[in-house]
Amino acid sequence: MPTRVITVTSGKGGVGKTTATANLGVALSELGNRVVVIDADIGLRNLDVVMGLQNRIIYDIVDLVEGRCRLRQALIRDRTTSELYLLPAAQSRDKTAISPADMIRVCEQLRGACDFILIDSPAGIEAGFRNAIAGADEFVLLTTPDAASVQDVDRVLGILENEGHDDLFLMINRIRPDLVQRGEMLSPAEVLRTLAIDLIGIIPETEAILVSNNKGTPIARDKSSLPGKAYINTARRLLGQDVRFLPILEGKKGIWERFGSLFLDR
Amino acid sequence: MADSVSIKGTREGLTITFGNGEFSTLLKDLDQHLATRGAFFRGGRVALQVGERAVEEEELSQLQKLLSNHGMILRTVVSENGVTQKASNALGLRLIAPEGDQAAKTQEKPNPAPPRGPASRQQGESRGILIRRMVRSGQVIRHTGHVVILGDVNAGATIAAGGDIVVWGGLYGTAHAGFMGDRSAIICALEMFPLQLRIADFIARPEENPPSKNPYPEIARARGGRIVVEQWNKTP
Repeated sequence: MPTRVITVTSGKGGVGKTTATANLGVALSELGNRVVVIDADIGLRNLDVVMGLQNRIIYDIVDLVEGRCRLRQALIRDRTTSELYLLPAAQSRDKTAISPADMIRVCEQLRGACDFILIDSPAGIEAGFRNAIAGADEFVLLTTPDAASVQDVDRVLGILENEGHDDLFLMINRIRPDLVQRGEMLSPAEVLRTLAIDLIGIIPETEAILVSNNKGTPIARDKSSLPGKAYINTARRLLGQDVRFLPILEGKKGIWERFGSLFLDR
Repeated sequence: MADSVSIKGTREGLTITFGNGEFSTLLKDLDQHLATRGAFFRGGRVALQVGERAVEEEELSQLQKLLSNHGMILRTVVSENGVTQKASNALGLRLIAPEGDQAAKTQEKPNPAPPRGPASRQQGESRGILIRRMVRSGQVIRHTGHVVILGDVNAGATIAAGGDIVVWGGLYGTAHAGFMGDRSAIICALEMFPLQLRIADFIARPEENPPSKNPYPEIARARGGRIVVEQWNKTP
């Protein structure tokens, strides 16, 4: 199978790109894939923290593109998941330290050596975003169920579509089933209506995610947790499997069932 | 023969004007001309002026090839002729009407045309563009004729038309019909939930707390100094 290069992006900040990248990386490698995650947020690196690898960084992506190390030296193997590697960003530089051409070169070097390359994009649509999308063929668009975040993803989609990309997947993060049911949060169906691309994941908002981020142990490792299951399912859909959406509202005939039927109708 | 082909530099690039004579002869003349002075024009964007001449697609693509051999790009065709316009459209070239000529013609008339005010309906009536996709946030569709969108217009997207705007889908963004001053322009959509509607110099935004409704097609027009939105089936 040829290496799939996927950038996780959102336009807006704070929707959970870094968390989603780390967890998708864990989930994909748990499902037997060799995965490299790249932190493209140079100057504000976080992916290492969420993965609990910050104290193992010796070289970073800027060292790599400026020739101070070889690719193998810059890759950090995950603590628990053996087929997961991190290529960290530099913290002391900024977005101008690398170019889209550098990014393409790094991805080309990694192609063939792994099944997935996941790139964590910085917020915005400027230089850092340009770097993050340069080497990718597929995109996971991450949104939270609120109008501002959805509108920013819509903007990013316009940019990507203009450049001829059509492998675009949607993930909805931080959904609060109780709020959706009371009609105080956009429902997945409404988000999907606006963005009109393939939905591959819905991640509920739970305290467990905040805690696991802080501890540097991505929630996807805990397969018994609700968000853990949701991430594994998302990874399965990314692999092309047909997986039904979880009924996250236990015991109630709520939005998920209705949404499920809406999704199957498409 | 030098009179039949002229090359002029303008702010936008080069304008090549073809006069009378066989198209193939003119091409040869142009080729020679460019061979001697070619380096001067290299990389230039070319607008072709052919007046009333009917230029077939085949001929136009020959010219396109010739220009690209000299490192130039044919971008625009200035013509009123139907055949030429069709050929330019087929090759995806930008098409503009000869403005200067038209102005000259109206001046010749004993009774000058009505003063330039709001652009009249007739001018853009036959022209329009069809957009067969969703218009996303940040995207702007702007056209001097009518604009028809087959798909949704999302919040943050802008549609501006010299004429009417028809959205076969949901209108959630901003639409400005008659932006050159035509107050008779209309905006209609299958689902009308715009951020803002504009017709000519009128601006309207929806009520703060619109009563929730099942979407039905609606049409917006300027009436009595403001924009009125009505259900589609109530209006002719």
